[in-house]
Amino acid sequence: MSHWFDRTQDAAKRGPLTQFQAKQLQVLANTAWPSRKTEAWRYTSLFGLAEEQFAAPSQQLSNPDFADIETIDVLFDGEEWQLPTSLPKGLSISLETVDTALTKPDHHIFGLINDTRTQQSLTIKVAESATITQPIRIAVAAQLNCEQFARVTAELGNNSQCTVIEQLAGNSEGLSSLFCEYDVADSAHLNHYRFQLQGDLHYSIGGNHIRLGNHSQLDSHVVGFGSKLSRLDIDVEHAGEHAQANLNAIFLLDGKEHFDLHTTIEHAMPNGTTEENVRGIVADRSKATFNGRIHIHRDAQKTLAELNNRNLLMSRNAELNTKPELEIYADDVRCAHGATVAELDEKSMYYLTSRGISRQDAQIMLNFGFINELVDQMQHEAVAEWLRPQLRQRFAQMKQV
Amino acid sequence: MLSIKNLHARVEEKTILKGLNLEVKPGEVHAIMGPNGAGKSTLGYVLSGREGYEVESGSASLNDADLLDLEAEERAHAGLFLAFQYPVEIPGVSNLEFLKAAVDANRAAKGLEPMSSKELLKTAKEVCKEVDLPIAFLKRGVNEGFSGGEKKRNEIMQMMMLKPSLCILDETDSGLDIDALQVVAKGVNSQRSPERSFVVVTHYQRLLDFIKPDFVHVLADGKIVKSGGPELALELEKHGYAWLEEKSA
Repeated sequence: MSHWFDRTQDAAKRGPLTQFQAKQLQVLANTAWPSRKTEAWRYTSLFGLAEEQFAAPSQQLSNPDFADIETIDVLFDGEEWQLPTSLPKGLSISLETVDTALTKPDHHIFGLINDTRTQQSLTIKVAESATITQPIRIAVAAQLNCEQFARVTAELGNNSQCTVIEQLAGNSEGLSSLFCEYDVADSAHLNHYRFQLQGDLHYSIGGNHIRLGNHSQLDSHVVGFGSKLSRLDIDVEHAGEHAQANLNAIFLLDGKEHFDLHTTIEHAMPNGTTEENVRGIVADRSKATFNGRIHIHRDAQKTLAELNNRNLLMSRNAELNTKPELEIYADDVRCAHGATVAELDEKSMYYLTSRGISRQDAQIMLNFGFINELVDQMQHEAVAEWLRPQLRQRFAQMKQV
Repeated sequence: MLSIKNLHARVEEKTILKGLNLEVKPGEVHAIMGPNGAGKSTLGYVLSGREGYEVESGSASLNDADLLDLEAEERAHAGLFLAFQYPVEIPGVSNLEFLKAAVDANRAAKGLEPMSSKELLKTAKEVCKEVDLPIAFLKRGVNEGFSGGEKKRNEIMQMMMLKPSLCILDETDSGLDIDALQVVAKGVNSQRSPERSFVVVTHYQRLLDFIKPDFVHVLADGKIVKSGGPELALELEKHGYAWLEEKSA
């Protein structure tokens, strides 16, 4: 039972709905509100959300701050998209009706909700062989006590390249739902960032669903500060051969924040490579879940897949659930996974303090180092530089109990 | 400067130092030699305040500060520096960031403002050159992927940046080839001054060809069993430690 779920369906029914949306609403009507017995929601309770009531956003929001880098800005102000006035050659950004799913599977309940609650789909198209050097930044700012649903589909033509930055900001009570779908065609390269830098008052539920063509490449970086409840589902499908997926995710939780990351990598075709690194730090009474699934289909021979999850527990009251899942049906693959939960390395601590650095500062440095390894891998140095001070500040505030 | 009196210390249940005495005056270089397991590394760890190393009795003071009463970082502020035998790798924390934090922490303890980033970088580059480390190493993670020799040179570099009054070199020569040894020794020798003292802990006489000690001590079974001038090191090299143990028995 969920009043919020009932209300959201009622709101969707008021329409207007496209045929596709009507169909999704029908699927939704036959979908049960997840409980703790639902496997995909085992460690994340929706009990709190079930009773929430949010308004539709009304006022226009300003663009959240970002890195010192020229970007093509697209802002979602809660209800409407603000599109850039000029675009480089080879790039089109438009608003389309919601009439199909590009790459998102139907089993995500919040994905279905998003399908039915969005009026328009932000549609990005990168022409064949085009290289868009300026990153496209999609910003969603939270508005007090409101719920907002945003939907993005992006198609990268053969041999094209672009960078997309999804930025969710604001720390007011409310709910943001941003689902982005990417179709990366043959030999195309997507640089992807998702920054969920919201605070402990916000619900943030969304997804990234990416299909990779032959010889295509994905470099994805996710950074989450957690929220009152944050849930992100990432699906990557190796739909072509020789595709390469590099996924990095970082989450830093404090207070009573809750972060839940589910990733599913489908190796449907041979010769694909996946490297996934997830690092989390949980402090105080926060709670994190990471579920990383790699599914190697029978025909996906010569797949190389590595999944690594490392976590730091900063407090006895913090909770971390990590579950790597490998499902392998091909016999000629190299696949490895590892998950660790540890406290700070005392040897490193001793080394730093022996140089005169206080324990507190050493702790910040080590925590920062732990995730900075992944920040260092970001292709855009300006983005990394924008992020680092925020992470540092976050650490400095983290409570150790 | 450094005064250690009747120091007893243990790791877990095992007593390693069993009444160690050592007096080091400003500007002196003392070599401590001894067989494996004698307590050479333990001495450095106990003095620098490593967790798990427990002092049972005795005292250790540096420049009138009671070392054993201080936290590890406060011992550094008091002027102590330990060059580690096995420096740890800290990926994600850049060498430069680490140096800045260390330099500034020591300055803050003296009531000084942080060093400007520009000045720090300039100094760090100069020091890099002196210990023959490429400047690019400043941007790399602390000791991350460094060879054995590079790690040791990185230790000496930190020492040169922090300008401590007492440096303990814990088997800084281990794992070094003769060229690397000379670079390290050159760095150390450049830091010798009437105000700065060194305790050079080593297993082999070889290092002492390059860093000439004023005194040589033999540490065996947790205490200093023999002290002398540089000639003692040569004798040890010739006869080994067994000779000494027989003699003292």
